[in-house]
Amino acid sequence: MFYLQLRNELWKLFAKTRTYIGFLMFLLAQNVIILIFRFTNGPRANMMRTLEGNGYLAREFISALTVATFMLLPIAYMLLPLYVSLVGGDLVAKEAEEGTLRMILSRPISRARLLLLEWTAGAIFSFALVTALGLFGVGFASLWFPWKGLFVFIPGELFSVFDAAAGWRHYAAAHLMMATKACTVMGLAFMFSCFNVKPAAATILAISFVFVNFIMQNIPYFRDLQHWFLSYHLNIWTFMLSQTIPWWRIGESLSILLGFNLTFLAIGATAFQLRDIKS
Amino acid sequence: MIRLAGLSKSFGDRVAVDDLNLHVPRGEIFGLLGHNGAGKSTTIGMMLGQVWPTKGEVLVCGCDVTARRQQALQKVGAIFETPMFYDYLSGWRNLEILSHYSAPTPRERIREVIDWVGLTGREKSKVRTYSHGMRARLALAQALLPQPELLILDEPGDGLDPEGIHEMRQTIRRLHRELGLTIFLSSHLLSEVEQVCTRIAVMNQGRKVFEGSLDQIKQPQSWVQLRVDDFAKAALLLRQEKLVVEERDGKFIALAPNVGTDQVVRRLVEQGMAVYEIVRHQQTLEDFYLDLVRR
Repeated sequence: MFYLQLRNELWKLFAKTRTYIGFLMFLLAQNVIILIFRFTNGPRANMMRTLEGNGYLAREFISALTVATFMLLPIAYMLLPLYVSLVGGDLVAKEAEEGTLRMILSRPISRARLLLLEWTAGAIFSFALVTALGLFGVGFASLWFPWKGLFVFIPGELFSVFDAAAGWRHYAAAHLMMATKACTVMGLAFMFSCFNVKPAAATILAISFVFVNFIMQNIPYFRDLQHWFLSYHLNIWTFMLSQTIPWWRIGESLSILLGFNLTFLAIGATAFQLRDIKS
Repeated sequence: MIRLAGLSKSFGDRVAVDDLNLHVPRGEIFGLLGHNGAGKSTTIGMMLGQVWPTKGEVLVCGCDVTARRQQALQKVGAIFETPMFYDYLSGWRNLEILSHYSAPTPRERIREVIDWVGLTGREKSKVRTYSHGMRARLALAQALLPQPELLILDEPGDGLDPEGIHEMRQTIRRLHRELGLTIFLSSHLLSEVEQVCTRIAVMNQGRKVFEGSLDQIKQPQSWVQLRVDDFAKAALLLRQEKLVVEERDGKFIALAPNVGTDQVVRRLVEQGMAVYEIVRHQQTLEDFYLDLVRR
C-alpha cells in the first residue's frame, strides 16, 4: 500500500513540468561553462598555471572529471538549493493552494502518512536531481575533454589530484554526500510548506534560511560559531574530494543533518496536523 | 449515518459554527441550506476531519471523526464546490491516485465507475481538456470509487450551467435510487435543495435555525392572500370580528382557527367592500428560508 501511494506521489511530482526546471537549468549552465572553458584561453590558462605552479603536468588533469567538478562548486552552492526548495515548497502548499489537498483529505488517510509520502517523494527527487547533476556534468564534459585525472582546487580549502579511477570514485562519493544537502534543503522548504503559506513563500523562506546561514558562517568574526550554522554542515560533499577524507567531520555533520531533517519533519508535521484545511 | 452534537468552531474571535446538533439517518437525502458564510462548508470540513472542532462531537458512520478519522471515512465519498484535480494527468490517473488513498483499487472498479458516470472514451485525456461538466463527473467518479455508503456534496451546483444543474440533480436522485446512498448536500441554492432533498436544516450565522422535512415547510399555512381596495381597513375590520389573527406585507392575512375564506368574503361584502381576489397561500421554501434568516 505504501509503495502504491508513493508511486502515485512520484507520478504527481514527475508529471509536472516545473519539476524539470532544475534539470534543464543544470543542463544549460553546465554546457555554457563547458563551452566557455573549451573555446576560450583565459580560464584554461589559469588552471594550468595553478597545476604547473604546484609541480603537476597540467595536460594530465585538464579532463572531463576536472571540468565536471569545478562546475559543481557554484552550481551546488547556488542553484541546487534553489531547485530543491522550489519542489519542497510546492509539495504541500501547492496542493493546498490548488484545492487537491481537500480532495485527498476527504479520504481515510492520516495527515502524518500523507506527509511522509510527500517527503519521501521529495527526497527521491533530491537524489534524482543530484544524480542528474553529476551525470550531466561528466557526460557533457566527456564530449569535449579526455578521460584523465581529476584536479580539484577550492582556494583556502582544498587542493587535490587523483588519477582517473580514483577521481571517478571521489566524484561519485561527493555526489552521494551532496544528496544529503539537497534532501535537507528540500526538507526545510517542505517544513515551511506545511504551514498555511503560498508555495512561493515556502521556497523563499527556505532559500533565505540557507543563505542567511551561509552569510553568517562566512562573517570572519563568527568563525568560532560556524559549526552552529546549517550551511557549515550542508557542504560536507566537498570533503569527499579531499586527498584524505576527514571521516570524523563527515560523521559529525551527517548526524547533525539527520537531526535537522527530523526536526524539520517534526515541526512540519505538527503544523500540518494542527491546521484546518479549508477551501 | 451522521450525528453532530454540540458542534462549534471558532476562527479567532469569529464563531463559524455555534452549537450545532444534527442527525442524518441512513438512506436520507439531507440538505444543509444557508447563505454564503453561514457555516456550511466549515461543518462539512469538520465532518471530514479537515477542520478541527473547537467543541462538540462529530460521528460519521458511527465513528468519532476527530479520534478515529480513518475508520469514520472508510465508506464516505465527498465532492467539493469546485472539483480540483491534477490537470496535467489523465482522468484515469487522477482516479488511480485518489482511490489509492483509501485502499488498493482494482482497474475493473475504476473502469466500472468511469462507465457509471459516463466518462468512457475520455478517461485517458488530460483533465485540463475536460469541460466543467466532465470535471463534475470525474469528481463523482472519485467519490464513488471506495463504494461509499455516504456521499457528502459541498455546493454541488456551484458554477454549473442550467443543464449541468439539471444533470447533477438527476444524478443525485439516481445515486439514491440505484446505489441506496445516504446523501448529505450543502447549498445556498434553494431550488436545488427543494427538488432533491427529503429533509433539510437551515443555518444562519453559524447557528441551525431549522431542521425538518420539506413537507413540514410546504404544509398549507393559514396565510391567505387578499386583494381589496383598502387592505388596511379590511384587515382592521376582520381583526375586530376575530376572523383574522395577523396580517403582513399589505396583502396577506392569517385566518383565526376554524375560519374559512367564505366567512371572510361574506363579512367584507356585507361591509360594502369589493373583494377582487382571495387565495390560500402555499409557503415555498424561499418564503420559509427568507423568513428564517430575516428573524
